[in-house]
Amino acid sequence: MRIVLDAVTKQFGAVKAIDDVTLEIVDGELLALLGPSGCGKTTTLFAICGIHRIDSGRILFGDLEVSGLPPQRRSVGVVFQSFALYPHMSVSENIGFPLQVRKESKAEIERKVDEVADLVHIRELLERRPAQLSGGQQQRVAIARAIVRRPDILLLDEPLANLDAKLRLEMRSELRRLQKETGITAVIVTHDQVEAMSMSDRIVIMDDGRILQIGTPDEMYHRPSNKFVAGFIGNPPISFADGKVEDGRFVTEGLDFDLPDRIKKASVTAGQNITLGVRPEYLQPDFATPIEAEITFIENQGREALYDLTLAGGHVFRSIQSGEPICKLGDKIRWGIDADASFFFDDQGKRI
Amino acid sequence: MRHQSDRLGLAFLTPALIFVVLFFLSPVVLTAVFSFTTMSTATGISGGTYRITPSAVRSAAEKGLNPATAERLSQERYTIDDDALTRATKAGIDAEILKELERDLKGKSTDDRRSFERLLKKLDNRPNRRQVKSISPHFRTSILNQSFEDRTTLDATLENLGLDAAERARVAETSYTGWIWTSANFRRMFLQPDTYRILINTIVYVFTTLVIFNTGYAMVLAIVTFYLPGRQATVYRTIWFLPRITPPVIYVLLWKWLAWDTGFISTITGWFGVASRNWMLDTSLNAWVFVVLINGFVGASMGMIIFSSAIKTIPESLFHASAVDGAYRWQQVRHIILPQLRWPILFLTTYQTLSLLSSFELIFLATNGGPGSATEVWSLAAFHLALSNYAGNLQYGLGAAFALILVLIGITASLFYLRLFKFSEMISKPRIEH
Repeated sequence: MRIVLDAVTKQFGAVKAIDDVTLEIVDGELLALLGPSGCGKTTTLFAICGIHRIDSGRILFGDLEVSGLPPQRRSVGVVFQSFALYPHMSVSENIGFPLQVRKESKAEIERKVDEVADLVHIRELLERRPAQLSGGQQQRVAIARAIVRRPDILLLDEPLANLDAKLRLEMRSELRRLQKETGITAVIVTHDQVEAMSMSDRIVIMDDGRILQIGTPDEMYHRPSNKFVAGFIGNPPISFADGKVEDGRFVTEGLDFDLPDRIKKASVTAGQNITLGVRPEYLQPDFATPIEAEITFIENQGREALYDLTLAGGHVFRSIQSGEPICKLGDKIRWGIDADASFFFDDQGKRI
Repeated sequence: MRHQSDRLGLAFLTPALIFVVLFFLSPVVLTAVFSFTTMSTATGISGGTYRITPSAVRSAAEKGLNPATAERLSQERYTIDDDALTRATKAGIDAEILKELERDLKGKSTDDRRSFERLLKKLDNRPNRRQVKSISPHFRTSILNQSFEDRTTLDATLENLGLDAAERARVAETSYTGWIWTSANFRRMFLQPDTYRILINTIVYVFTTLVIFNTGYAMVLAIVTFYLPGRQATVYRTIWFLPRITPPVIYVLLWKWLAWDTGFISTITGWFGVASRNWMLDTSLNAWVFVVLINGFVGASMGMIIFSSAIKTIPESLFHASAVDGAYRWQQVRHIILPQLRWPILFLTTYQTLSLLSSFELIFLATNGGPGSATEVWSLAAFHLALSNYAGNLQYGLGAAFALILVLIGITASLFYLRLFKFSEMISKPRIEH
């Protein structure tokens, strides 16, 4: 089902947790709300499911406006960060709870619980109590409970944050499989950009209660709308260097090169403050725009190696290269940047 | 090293242990001890003497003492023997007379004073009327109304009167004025019809107060205040907490003012032509209603606090989860709150049962068991018997027996509750995980 948030604002006292957010969630997609903690992503999720009443704006499920409806009357399934399983109920009672409170028949509840238990592979756990389950199993139960009554939308609040690293990888693809199999519209809240990038159809990046950019993971990575998005997405992260435009060149201490044509064509004026952003993969030994620096840090990750390059002026750039490290700490090197693939931001942080 | 720390633990515990033994354990033990005695105001709590009163002889006869022997005990005898002569000499009776008595009539005894005095009058040194009167008391050997400090003295005297061992024991039993070991208190307790009345009163009182107020109404208050906005909830809780922080005497006095025949209710109903009366003590039903209300209003506040804080420990996410699962408030109460309150309900039920069973101060102040003995409950009965008897004879032993039964009921009730609420299951696993 198509979900629309129209100019939604939610305030806690004087703090605007969500500030004029407008967002359309397309039927059947998995949308990730991504941002640092306190950015308003969980508040947005709770506004969609009705736990938080919004102060202004509208929320539409299909054509139905639900802004004034309590959570009980919205068709939403929620997987909470803490899973929020009912400790005194067995797994099957937990999953059947949304049906039970709707007074569905026992046989019907049993059938649906079995069906969804098969879907999330917890058939053999139905008689257990939540306390007797591992984190991953609790997660599956929480998902089963959220989708058992086929809600209009599935909301997941940091669903992987409470799992260990290995399980997180496994559940990531598992969640994606479930979402694809059921075709349910889903919103996932996360602060982990890798999670958002790998799972979702589209990503919404939020900061300070506002949406900064909406787009596919690919767009986010290759065409960030501003410095914040560029910095937030990508691991290892992008390196920035503040400089000035001088005579069609980017100039900063220890670095001075010709700006690419597309930047020159954009309205940059001489003397304008400008920020260079270089992703680690666009700084390689044989790239065109030369950069002279000292290796100040090497992290050997086996398959690839990570280098920190410190320029004469103190700017630090990062490079990632496959294979074993090719130099050692303290080496003076002369590598290159791919200026065409690099980003330039104006003094407002907007990408040029 | 380990041993040292063990000793340290013991050292830390010692003050607590001393207090437990002194103030918790010893009262129970002493109650048990007292309950198997005949202690009362009459016997005192230290030992007594043997005093052969007419009633002691009568009850010995009732218990099978040979009637002839009983007759002999009640009779006065005048015997001329060495003891009596010595006594008389010391008392300064004329030596000539005594000498003659010793010579001629030693060993003789008569059954009454008159025949003894007739003997005196036949003496050669005939004493005058006044002398006769002063001589005869020294030769009286009746043991009636005599006190004996211990059993040995009593036995010696009785043996002189020709009582055999069994008879002596029987007389000793009925003539002892101190307390003795007995199980009669319990027999008496179970045989008295009053006891069953008191038992039923107690059950009605504890059950009604516990179910309606201490848990039921307390739960309602806790849940209502949980869903109320913060400030309203605080005001509401504070109001319901007032009865608990008011001194009991003043609290009950307010109730009495409410119910007196010139009190609040009577004044209001008086406007509608209803004759004024003491609403609290008018009928036994009224008395019960007031007793339950008075205790319940105090009890409800404690339950409210305990349930409120227990509800607050339920993670908020469970309420969020149940709301999006479609559960409205009543369903949240039924499926989320109540199941999580099993432990506080157990605690409160156990605690309040015991406290209702053992505390009687509010009933004592309000109705003092009245009207008649309509609201006389077990603990109040124990108090009345042991410490506040209307007739003035405080029956410590019987009162202690009542109190001991109360202790046993309390222990039984706790064990029953622990089983009912599956206590062992509850402490085995955490109830709420995050």
